[in-house]
Amino acid sequence: MSLVSQVATVLINGLQQGAIYVLVAIGLSIILGTLKFVNFAHGALYLIGTYVGLFITLEVQLTGGKLMEWGYTELGLGWGFLPALIIVPAVVFVVGIVMERFVARPFYDRPDTDQILLTFGLAIVVQELFKILFGGQSYNFARPAWASGPVSVPVIGSFPQWRLYVLGITAVLVAGVYLLIEYTDFGLVVRAGTRDAEMVQLLGIKITRPYLMVFGVGAALAGVAGVVGGPLYAVNPNIGTEVLVPAFLVVVIGGVGSITGAVIGGILIGETLAILVAVAPQWSQVGIYVLAAVVLLARPQGLLGVEEVTP
Amino acid sequence: MPQANGGPTRRDVVKAASATGAASIASIAGCLGGGGGGGSEDYPALGNYPVEGDTVMLGFNVPQSGPYSSEGKDELRAYKLAVKHLNNGGGWVDGWSDLSADGVLGKTVDYVTGDTATDADTARQSARRMIQRDNVQMVSGGSSSAVAIAVQELCQQEKVMFMACLTHSNDTTGKNCVRYGFREMFNAYMTGQALAPVVTEEYGDDLEFYQLYADYSWGKTQQASMKKFFEEAGWSEVDSVPTPLGTKDYQSYLSEARNSGADAIFLNHYGLDGANSLGGAIDMGLDEDMEIVMPLYNRPMAQAAGGAIEGIYGTVAWDAQIDNEPSNSFTKAFGDEYSGRVPSGPAQLAYAQTLQWAAAAERAGTFYPPEIIKQLEGRSYNNLGMGKETMRKCDHQAQRAVPVVKGLPGSEQGSGQFFDLVNLTSRSELGYGCDEGPAGECELGSYE
Repeated sequence: MSLVSQVATVLINGLQQGAIYVLVAIGLSIILGTLKFVNFAHGALYLIGTYVGLFITLEVQLTGGKLMEWGYTELGLGWGFLPALIIVPAVVFVVGIVMERFVARPFYDRPDTDQILLTFGLAIVVQELFKILFGGQSYNFARPAWASGPVSVPVIGSFPQWRLYVLGITAVLVAGVYLLIEYTDFGLVVRAGTRDAEMVQLLGIKITRPYLMVFGVGAALAGVAGVVGGPLYAVNPNIGTEVLVPAFLVVVIGGVGSITGAVIGGILIGETLAILVAVAPQWSQVGIYVLAAVVLLARPQGLLGVEEVTP
Repeated sequence: MPQANGGPTRRDVVKAASATGAASIASIAGCLGGGGGGGSEDYPALGNYPVEGDTVMLGFNVPQSGPYSSEGKDELRAYKLAVKHLNNGGGWVDGWSDLSADGVLGKTVDYVTGDTATDADTARQSARRMIQRDNVQMVSGGSSSAVAIAVQELCQQEKVMFMACLTHSNDTTGKNCVRYGFREMFNAYMTGQALAPVVTEEYGDDLEFYQLYADYSWGKTQQASMKKFFEEAGWSEVDSVPTPLGTKDYQSYLSEARNSGADAIFLNHYGLDGANSLGGAIDMGLDEDMEIVMPLYNRPMAQAAGGAIEGIYGTVAWDAQIDNEPSNSFTKAFGDEYSGRVPSGPAQLAYAQTLQWAAAAERAGTFYPPEIIKQLEGRSYNNLGMGKETMRKCDHQAQRAVPVVKGLPGSEQGSGQFFDLVNLTSRSELGYGCDEGPAGECELGSYE
C-alpha cells in the first residue's frame, strides 16, 4: 500500500471518528455558550438517542433487565434506519425541552458547581434507569443492510460504508445548524446571547423561548449522534458517559458557543487519535488531553471562542 | 521430565514434611475433637478463620460495570445458583459425595457481592471490604486478569482463599501465583497450544500475522503466547500493537493492521472491547483481506458482535454444547433457575469454583485455609464437564482440556448458541511442566 493511500486512510479515519464528537459537542457548546449552563447530562441524551434508535430500527432480543423479567423478551419496531433518523431527533428534542424547563431553568442563576452536580446526577440516574430496564449488557446495533460492509474508495481502498454515511450525515446536519444559527433571527438571538445574554434581555427580547429552542436543538443533535454512532459500537448504558468527555474536550479546543469551533475541535481530536494510533498507539488516549492542554495554554477561550464580556 | 531444577528441592521436602505433619496433627485433633464443623478448637486463628455463628460467608467480586460487565452478570447468576444448591441441593451438589446439600460443614452459606468495575484498585477495595467487614472465608471473581491478580495478592496477604473465576493471563498462575489462589480456567499459553494446530491446519502453515492486544497483563501474555506457538508452527509475526482497555473505536488500529500486508490478524481483545474490535474489522471488510482469529471468545461478547463472528476461530472457557453429564446437568440447572437461559463459560467457572472450594472444605473437615488448600492441591477430578483434570500443586493451575470453537453465522445464532465446537483439545496435548512456561516463574508463598 502506497504512502499516499496510508496517509489518506489515517486522515479519513480521523475525520470520521471526530464526526460523532462534533455532533455531540455542537449541542454542548451552544447550550454552554448561550445559556451558560454546564450540561453534564448531555451524554445521557446521546444514550437516549442510541437506545430509541436501536428499538425503532430493529427488533431486538432482550438479554437482561427488568423489561425482560416482565416478559418483554423482544422489543423494537423493526422499521429500519431512516425512520429512526427522523423520529429520534424529534423525541430527544422533546426530552431536551422538558429538561430545559424543569431541570435547567431553575439553575440558570446558580453557580457552575450546582449545575454540574445536578446534571451529573441526572446523567447517572438516566444511565442506571437504562441499566435496570434493558440490563447492563451490550446490544448489537446492526448497520442498515444498505450500508453494511466495505465499499471501495479511490486512493484509500476498501472502507466501511457506514462510516462514510456517518461523515455525510454529520456534514449535512452541521451545515443545517450552521445556517440556522448564522442566517435566521433565531440564530441572531442565539449568537447575541452567546456574546452577552444580559444585553439581549435589556434589548427587550424575551429570551425564554430561544433558550428552550437552543436546548431542544442541542439535545436533538446529541440524539442524532446516538443513532448515527450506534452502529459503530456495541450499545450499552455507559456509552453516554464515554462520549461526554471527548465532547467536552472538543468544546474546550474549539471554543464555547462556536459551531465552527466545534467542527475544528472535533476534527482535531479525531485526527490526533488516528495519527497517534498510526505512529505511537500507546499515546493515542493521552494525546487528546495534551492537545486540549496546549490549546488551553495558548488560547484559554479555545481556538474560535470569544472572550467573555465580564459584567 | 528434565530434573535439573525441576525436581524436589530442599525447600519442597521441608514443606512437604511440615504439611504431612500438620495433616496428621489435624487428623488426630479431628478424632479427638469430633471434627467439629467450624473447627475453631483445632487450628489457630488465621485470616477470617474460625467461622463464628451458623453462617459461612463468601465474597463474589465481579465486574458489574465497565467493559466486562456482561460477563460479570452471568458469573453472578452462577454464584447465586451455587449458593442455593450448596444450601438446598440441586445441580452438581446432588452428585458430589463431598457435598451435603445442607450448607458447608453444617453452616448455611451466605454471600456478599462487590463490583470490581473491571478495575484493579476498585476490585481490591471491594475485596478488602468483604474480607474485613463481612468476614468472608473465600473470595471468587474475575473477568479481568489485572483484577484477579490484584485481588489474589490481597487474599494471600489476608490469608483468605481466592478461587479465580475468569482470568486468562499466564501471570495469574505464573509469576503472580499465590498459595491462596487457584485457577480452573486455562491460560493464554494453553490457548496458544490449542489454537495453533487447528488454525494452521485450516489456513496453511506459512502465514504472516499481525496482533492487536489489550494493553494489560492478560493482553500482553496472550500476545506473547500467540507469537510463541504460531511461530513454532511456522507463522511469523509482522507486528503487534497494544490498544488501551476500553477502546471504543478500533478503526485506526485495524487500518494499520491492513496496511501491514499481513495474512492474518489476531484480535486479543475481550468483552465489549472484543465485540467492538471484531465488529469494526468485519465492517471494514478485513475478513476479505486477512484471516481473523479471536483467541479468547465468550458468549456475551459474541452476542454483542452478532454475525461478525461467523467462521472465526477462538477458544472458550466452556460451552453448553460440550455433551457430558456434568455439563448437561449444569446447563439444565442454570436454565431452570433463569427462565431457560443458556449459561456462558464464565458462569460455569463461577459455579465450579464455588463448589470446588466447598467440597475441599468438607473434605478437610474445617474452614482452616491451609487445610482446604491442601485438599485442592494435586487433586484429580472429572466432575466439571471438561474431562479429567488435575489442579496442579506446583502452580495451582488446572491442567485441563481447552474447547476450540468457530463462530456461527448470525442467522444460526440464538438461544445461547453462538459457536460451533470444533475441537475439545485434550489435556494430554496441552500443558507444560512445573519448571517451564508460566509455571517456571511461580513461587506460591506460605500456607500460614
